Amino acid sequence: MRSIRTAAAIAVVAALALVLAACGSSKSSSSSSGGSGGSNTVSSSGYQSPTTQSLEGKKGGTLEVLDETDFEHLDPGIAYYSLDYEVVFATQRPLYSNKPNTASEASPDMASGPPEVSSDAKTVTVHMREGIKFSPPVNREVTSADVAYAFQRAANPNVANPYLQPYFKAVEGVPTATGGPIKGIATPDKHTIVFHLTEPKGSFVANALVMPISAAVPKEYAEKFDKHKPSDYGNNQVATGPYMFKNDSSGKVLGVGYFPGKSATLVRNPNWSASSDIRPAYLDEIKIKIGGTNSVIGRQVLEGKNVVENEPPAQNAVRLAAEKYKAQMEISPGAGSHYITLNNSHGPFKNENLRKAVWAALNRTAMDKARGGKLVTDVATHALYPSSDPKWNEVTGFNDAGGLEGPKFDFNEHLEGDAAVAAKYMKLAGYPSGKYTGGETITVVGAKGNPAEQDAEIVNNTLKQLGFTTKFTLVETATMYAKYCNVPKENIDVCPNVGWIADFADPQTILNITFNGKYIVQTGNVNQGQVNDPAINEAATKAENVSGASARAAAWADVDRKIAEGAHFVPYDWDKQANIEGSGVHGVGDLWDVGEWDYSWTSLK
Amino acid sequence: MSIGGTEALEASESGGALQFLDFGGEIAARSPSQLFWRRLRRDRVAIASAGFIVFLIVLAIAAPLVIKILGLPGPNVQNLNLTDEFGSPLGPTGSHPFGVDQLGQDVMSRVIYGTRVSLEVGIIGTAISTLIGVVVGLLAGFYRGWVDTVLSRAVDVVLSIPLLLLGIGIGAACGVRGCLSGAIQPGLGVIIFLIAFATWPYMMRIVRGLVLSLREREFIDASRALGASDLRIMFREILPNLTAPIIVFASLQIPTNILIEAALSFLGVGIRPPTASWGQMIASATPIFATAWWYMVFPGAALLLTVLAFNLLGDGLRDALNPRSAR
Repeated sequence: MRSIRTAAAIAVVAALALVLAACGSSKSSSSSSGGSGGSNTVSSSGYQSPTTQSLEGKKGGTLEVLDETDFEHLDPGIAYYSLDYEVVFATQRPLYSNKPNTASEASPDMASGPPEVSSDAKTVTVHMREGIKFSPPVNREVTSADVAYAFQRAANPNVANPYLQPYFKAVEGVPTATGGPIKGIATPDKHTIVFHLTEPKGSFVANALVMPISAAVPKEYAEKFDKHKPSDYGNNQVATGPYMFKNDSSGKVLGVGYFPGKSATLVRNPNWSASSDIRPAYLDEIKIKIGGTNSVIGRQVLEGKNVVENEPPAQNAVRLAAEKYKAQMEISPGAGSHYITLNNSHGPFKNENLRKAVWAALNRTAMDKARGGKLVTDVATHALYPSSDPKWNEVTGFNDAGGLEGPKFDFNEHLEGDAAVAAKYMKLAGYPSGKYTGGETITVVGAKGNPAEQDAEIVNNTLKQLGFTTKFTLVETATMYAKYCNVPKENIDVCPNVGWIADFADPQTILNITFNGKYIVQTGNVNQGQVNDPAINEAATKAENVSGASARAAAWADVDRKIAEGAHFVPYDWDKQANIEGSGVHGVGDLWDVGEWDYSWTSLK
Repeated sequence: MSIGGTEALEASESGGALQFLDFGGEIAARSPSQLFWRRLRRDRVAIASAGFIVFLIVLAIAAPLVIKILGLPGPNVQNLNLTDEFGSPLGPTGSHPFGVDQLGQDVMSRVIYGTRVSLEVGIIGTAISTLIGVVVGLLAGFYRGWVDTVLSRAVDVVLSIPLLLLGIGIGAACGVRGCLSGAIQPGLGVIIFLIAFATWPYMMRIVRGLVLSLREREFIDASRALGASDLRIMFREILPNLTAPIIVFASLQIPTNILIEAALSFLGVGIRPPTASWGQMIASATPIFATAWWYMVFPGAALLLTVLAFNLLGDGLRDALNPRSAR
């Protein structure tokens, strides 16, 4: 449920779910890749794919990165944005992390082995690698106390980690923590950390350890920065990963290795040893230039050599790449989904048949064309979204829920929209002319910027064709969420640009707080349609406690079907993220992070 | 035809002396307005600009008809089949002379409809600001003293409000639900109001200055001696003398207002989509300029030509009315 700000712009979502993960991250029982739908979502040949990319590379060299926008947060305890992750995961080592080519299987990183979850699921024990050292100026060995401190400071209001509560609230003491020691986090020895839980949610907490919140932070060094409001540890951070921000002898990064809005420089961490890590870290240095114009950057990168862009490239760059530089573009499926929320609790869309009419009438192919066409989108047919990682499609229930084709309802059948089916549901809704004559003006709040506003305009047009009078407004993406769509009392009827992406391969992270009525809250509500259907609530609440990967997949696939059956929302896009590189780069993209180039695996040819 | 041609030839051959005599023959007095027309007619640039503006007005009023005659789709007709496989719009063709935008909407059709917004904002906004500016300027200049002080300070306050920031603020605050329980809704009405609100002080200052000097003249004393009321003096004696500067200033205000509307719409706080507005089209063309130049060039050219025409006409009017010599 990470917020990603892709071209698609899925905005900051502060409130996350109680998430119960599927079983531990270590099993690899599946491996039967011959299956339905999912894996062939990688479109057309010639482009790179994060699933099939080679992880081998040549050592050495400097990579240049061009990005239009700056990072949001470089502090590993705060970072929660796909662009930030690329720097955070090159400089920091959480307890667990995903290899680039998987979205569903975490490997031990700072940990020395898989997490040990007790049989009552109330204790999670993690053993850590020995001999890992912090970068200069700290230079000492990383211990479990440093990981414990990372969690403590996450609760500090000066740090205010956005996902500590939703993911770790089961850890004893976390709900009331404000920066001091957390009762449920114990460090019996220098290389063991134990999480004591108040609820049997051990496997979920274990899975959440892939988040950068578990990256070690040296207390004696960071404490003084964490006293500032907001903490400026990010500007003085030390690294455990293969790279570190260039800093001065006191550890200062700001003005040395990071110039906000201008540039950042990553150099090798002298205290990192390859033998202790899964990352090869081929590059010697990464120079990040911030600023410029996305559409110009796209051309510079495609025509350049040792250079990449980590932002979603502009539409013209995607087109240029498709025409002339196919091999320099990677297409990464599983980059989240976009859908229209219709207000289920207020106004005309309380009526199920009206919702179905909108779904039937919407030309989803046109919606996706406005986003850049088939290359970067699949037409969505239900809420769970696919990845090119076959295991993802299995464990999330995507395959069970009908795969790419989705559930078979007449309103879901015609991707280009079907006026006859729409008219049928308008009639069922009590409008025999096929046009809405209820007289209510409906509010539509969309997001500015290409392609969101184009999608919003298509939706607005579709509503008008169905006879609705609309009040149509476009606002900044963050405003759309924070002031309108995520605030139930605003009673926005239609939010055409809602997006969602999961942090883990677990269907609950996609469907629960977004459609389970019991999680509707007054601010930061991510169930924008205020879906509060007893059948969905019951099925979802039951599914929360189902264990075992396939059972969970089936349970959530059932929830997914119920959401589609009642047309509680209208899906239109499953994102595939394009990322571009120069001709001299062997880029390795992170399937788990919308295909962003991973500096620790990328190399120069 | 041929006869007329010969006559014209003869007339031009007959030389300067004859022409001089011709002109000299009409010694009869000319009213200021006759003088004005004579001067204006000789200004070809101004006449051409005026012609273009008339053309724009006709285009704006008859937009639906024009589009029908040209066989273009309506301005809000979306057709994604007119974009390529990457979602890029297709360029100018026979059936879409100005190409289409990202939604497959016809750019020519939208440019034509955009004329409506620009002219409405330019003309109505200017009319309102002129009306307010003239009345307030007359009052301040005529009464002087504390009336002038209060009104002039009010003008100073209004002039210190940044228009674009105010527009952005209103756009952000009143975007979805409107402000003052729905009384203020972003859109054409608010834009016109904003422009009138922000630009009347300029007119007021000009009028006030002129009134201050005019009110000391003998003809004012004369009409006061005859027992004329203040209102009569202001509106019947002074105001007619201000016609020329007001017309000139208003005509130069129109293009400024058109540009303000374009800027506000460009910033996304002006005209709401799907209503076509040049500023908003230019904004939405910006990210795809590299692949779809036509989407920015045509509305941009329309904006440029319109503003240029109004400016040139304004210059022509100023020269013709020659208010600077202020007799």
